[in-house]
Amino acid sequence: MAGLELLSDQGYRLDGRKATELRKVQARMGVFAQADGSAYLEQGNTKALAVVYGPHEMRGSRSRARHDRAVINCQYSMATFSTAERKRRPHGDRKSTEMSLHLKQTFEAAVMTQLYPRSQIDIYVKILQSDGGNYSVCVNAATLAVIDAGIPMRDYVCACTVGFVDETPLADLCYAEESGGVSSLALALLAPWRTDRSAADGRQAPSGPLRGSDRSCHDSL
Amino acid sequence: MIKTEKILHLKSSRGRKVRVVREHYLRERVPCCSCLCQAACDNDGKVLPGDLTHYVVPDVGVVVDYLEILEFRELQGVVFTQTACQAVQHSKGRRQYNRLRNLLKDPRHDCVLFANEFQEYSYCPREKGESQEQWQTRCVYSAAVWYHNHLAGMMDIVMITEDRDAIAQYGSLNAGVYVISVQALQEKESEASQKEYSEHLPAEVLEAGIKSGRYIKGTLNISKHRPQNEASIMTDGLSNKSTDLSRGVLVDGGKNRNRAVHGDVVVVELLPKSEWRGKVTALTEGQGEEKGGEENESQPMPTGRVVGILQRNWRDYVVTFPPRDGTQSQSRNSQRILAVPWDRRIPKIRISTQQADALQDHRVVVRIDSWESTSLYPNGHSVRVLGPAGELETEVQTILIENGIHVAPFSDAQLREMPVNSPEKPWTIDPAQAAERRDLRESHLVFSIDPRGCEDVDDTLSVRSLPGGKLLELGVHIADVTHFVTEGSLTDLEARLRATTYYLADRRYDMLPAVLSADLCSLLGGVDRYAMSVMWELDAHTLAVNKVWYGRTIIRSSYQLHYELAQALLNGEEAEVPELSELGPEEKDAKLAELTQALEMLTHVARQLRAQRDRGGALELEGVEVRAQLDEQRNITALVPRQPLEVHETVAECMIYANHWVARKIQETFPHQALLRRHPPPRQEFFSQLVDSAKARGFAIDTRTNKALADSLDQAMDPQDPLVNRLLRMMATAAMSQALYFSTGLESQDQFYHYGLALDRYTHFTSPIRRYADIVVHRLLTAAIDLEREAGLGKTLANNKELEEMAQHINNKNMAAQRAQKSSTALFQCLYFKERDPQTDPSCVADAVIYSIRNNGILVFVPEYGVKGPVYMKNRDGQVVAAGPDGSCEWQSGSVRQHSDHISTTSSCGTSTFRLFDHITVRIAVHSAPFHGDSLNLEVVSNKPHRSPEPQQTPSQGRSQLVQEVVRLAEEASQQAQEKKAAQRPKLSKEEREFRQSKTPNLYSLLEEVRELALMDMDTAAQVCATTA
Repeated sequence: MAGLELLSDQGYRLDGRKATELRKVQARMGVFAQADGSAYLEQGNTKALAVVYGPHEMRGSRSRARHDRAVINCQYSMATFSTAERKRRPHGDRKSTEMSLHLKQTFEAAVMTQLYPRSQIDIYVKILQSDGGNYSVCVNAATLAVIDAGIPMRDYVCACTVGFVDETPLADLCYAEESGGVSSLALALLAPWRTDRSAADGRQAPSGPLRGSDRSCHDSL
Repeated sequence: MIKTEKILHLKSSRGRKVRVVREHYLRERVPCCSCLCQAACDNDGKVLPGDLTHYVVPDVGVVVDYLEILEFRELQGVVFTQTACQAVQHSKGRRQYNRLRNLLKDPRHDCVLFANEFQEYSYCPREKGESQEQWQTRCVYSAAVWYHNHLAGMMDIVMITEDRDAIAQYGSLNAGVYVISVQALQEKESEASQKEYSEHLPAEVLEAGIKSGRYIKGTLNISKHRPQNEASIMTDGLSNKSTDLSRGVLVDGGKNRNRAVHGDVVVVELLPKSEWRGKVTALTEGQGEEKGGEENESQPMPTGRVVGILQRNWRDYVVTFPPRDGTQSQSRNSQRILAVPWDRRIPKIRISTQQADALQDHRVVVRIDSWESTSLYPNGHSVRVLGPAGELETEVQTILIENGIHVAPFSDAQLREMPVNSPEKPWTIDPAQAAERRDLRESHLVFSIDPRGCEDVDDTLSVRSLPGGKLLELGVHIADVTHFVTEGSLTDLEARLRATTYYLADRRYDMLPAVLSADLCSLLGGVDRYAMSVMWELDAHTLAVNKVWYGRTIIRSSYQLHYELAQALLNGEEAEVPELSELGPEEKDAKLAELTQALEMLTHVARQLRAQRDRGGALELEGVEVRAQLDEQRNITALVPRQPLEVHETVAECMIYANHWVARKIQETFPHQALLRRHPPPRQEFFSQLVDSAKARGFAIDTRTNKALADSLDQAMDPQDPLVNRLLRMMATAAMSQALYFSTGLESQDQFYHYGLALDRYTHFTSPIRRYADIVVHRLLTAAIDLEREAGLGKTLANNKELEEMAQHINNKNMAAQRAQKSSTALFQCLYFKERDPQTDPSCVADAVIYSIRNNGILVFVPEYGVKGPVYMKNRDGQVVAAGPDGSCEWQSGSVRQHSDHISTTSSCGTSTFRLFDHITVRIAVHSAPFHGDSLNLEVVSNKPHRSPEPQQTPSQGRSQLVQEVVRLAEEASQQAQEKKAAQRPKLSKEEREFRQSKTPNLYSLLEEVRELALMDMDTAAQVCATTA
């Protein structure tokens, strides 16, 4: 797909957005009554469902419990119908495990876990439709679900991806852009702009562009 | 922003069909890039002007297929839709798409891109079952409609499409939006760029066509005066069956010429008689300016078109790269430049080069590679860079190459063949040779008469009365070049290739290495030399030939005279003979008396011989531009018109006599393989101008035979104006055909006649140092002598066919040499006048004689500078020359009328008439043509003869001064350049110090200086030669 022109001479991206424009965001909270908190978030065509249980007492092995804070348990999964071609394994593959770990670290930093010692908070995120920026949509959806559950956080966590094309940062990449060979960077931040978690992947060594992308992420959050 | 979705069906990497949903965001504000915009669009960058009649929105198919047309800068107000751009990207690939992008970026092209698919109101989603083409056309149309509405109907929008259904469907949907077909455009295009020329027919068809008489074969000859349009085919003798074709076939226009280049052997098909045209006779100013006037044409003549080319005659061409104006810029690493050939008859040549910037205004040697029928110009590649246009050296090289003259310095291998003659190792006579040769050193008084300072003395004379007083012995001794240049040696091959020594205005290129031409073969005074002699025993009174002896000899020239000295001796004036200056007075007187007596005897003989030839009808002709072939002996001096010394004629007459007798000898011995020279009688119709002009002055010229012509030319003498006779003789010369070398096996004996000299057989024998033909004749003569002595032929002689080929080659080279000399003279004339301001410098105003009348002007001859040229009576603005009462001329509106012997202009000042042979005053200016070399432009100043402030210079002085002046200027320029270099040196020294280079007098610069010195010496030496020769 190297032939795709990600940013035209007139400044339009493939889907008609300009470089700094985000996709359309739609959200609903409290979609499930049985869970403590739940949220549904659409960012363009990427759709995610996040569900939060807890805080509740430790389940399974009690040895993992911490006496001073709550343990956050995250699970990221993608629906088998979420991509254009049917996904064989909804969760448990390398990528999902990594995502789960990222989510866990993000929310351990954001949630005020010390308020709930020896307890556990479960966050389940499912991608219903995948169209780029899965991680950031997950973070945003999970934040909403945590808020819905009424669990205190230091601040809201906001996440966004950014790409870098022709010396121009592109905010909120869609799938076509992500797969079009752009170096991309996903950032999750707390409101006072302390970087919480970042995951970069791409072909360019992200030192120079990073600063620009970082800036762009800040702007978009 | 509104989010919509697009559903695409793509193929996955595994080849499965995949349904993909893509978001598609629409917005209201998409810049329209028009300055008529009412909605304050965010237009930055290029903006379409508002003063056009309409904007063009090309459909997808049009953009994809005819992008080249849309690239024309004449097309204004083009709106490319995003839909079309994407289609180009997908269907045509990256290259084409980049072209489109560059087009959009280029500020000189009046076109913009409209992102129609992101515009809320112009976007239309693809419907179910709608084909891609239909959807694209709908998108483009909706974009066109949006534009119309967006600009509030102030601008009409034209959508061009190839789709007839679209025209039917959308054509009348909206008022201000027109949908038209590309058909008309397409027709035009197919004419303009797809095929420039019709294809050539295959060789079999041509062959059959020529045999059946349907086609005519001939050599294409493009007119020098109208290279754009006029060309003619010189048909071969065989196809001249019908009298119509005897004048050749006209080929009118580039299209009919069909990619043939000057000199190609082509096949033409005659056009129907209704399309026959005539040649244009009016004078044209410069090139490219073609007047539509049909009334100036001569009688219609057979006109045809080229249908095939049998043989390309492409050679190396000198072209000039045009200065860059940015129009020809393409991508950086391969630039295609249209270079303009020096020869106007050659079309421009497209050259692909990466050095276009460096080659601007340079003259470059190129070759043509191909000429496709789709291309207006041929493709070529560059071979060698000559240098910047306008520089003396470049221009001289240009002249040489354009005439096909290659004069590299002699190679080491060639020089190694040469005998050595240096102070340490003087050359001596070989005893074996001395035994074979007749020794004339003691018995004969041999002397040479040449121009002053001549280096290559190739002829000497001797004359004495034999005991008894009844007989004279006349001897002509020619340098024995063939002794040194053996047949087949490298020097021989080189000499054959050159065929002649080339004399340019300021230099010469020798046929033989200098050690031969200036030393061992040169019959210098006081040294022993080999010679080839012809000696006649003549009856002292009747000059009837008693006996002729041909043979190799050893001579020692006693006196090396020059013409003025010889003439002075003949006239009995006091003259210092350098050879005698050291002798005692008595001895000196005796020797002087002996010499004078010999000269007198010689003159007496020559007069008689001349009289004999005159009775036969020999012509005395005058050549200025066209150098007279008849000027046998000293055709070097044709540049400097001969001073009328009788001794010139004496020497020439002896040479002609020797040539004639040698011709007799070799023709009798080898009736089928002797190299002779013939001068065919001219065609009578060529004399018409001469006869008419003479009639205007009241002289009758009889051109039926050479005798009659010679007599009537002698009669046509105007006592008031000697120039009239000169001009008439010039015209007669121009009417002559060229004298040619030929092999006797090829022509019947009655064709051997030499018209100009009135001799039945003639050849060239007397200048082997500078003409290869003479070398061949020497070899033939040697063979003839050997045969006579029954020694048998040493080796087989060239047969008839080989000899004929060689004769052709020598003829061609001779003509090339003449053209080169002519061009170099013209070059120097131009350089001379370039330095002068025509308005102020008195030397630019000169006296001129009218020698021909044309439709819109006259042809004049300027005797002072030997310049011939046209003078226009009517300029481009339609104004005519009007002479005031004092004779001064100015431009006024009026009309011109041509009569047989005068041309008159009528204007408000009255009528002024210019008659044939009138003297007028002209101003000479240089007409600068950077691509072709400059030419002189003559403008009439007054219709009265010019009175120069100082006494008129003799023509010869004018010429030689002119050359000297130009050479001096060139030298000054080079000196200045050197001074500049010297001035730059101290600046460099700082860097030199920095980089630890040795100071200026290092070895390199020393060697460089030595080299420069050597060059300068050679230059000056060449100059001396040129001026003296």
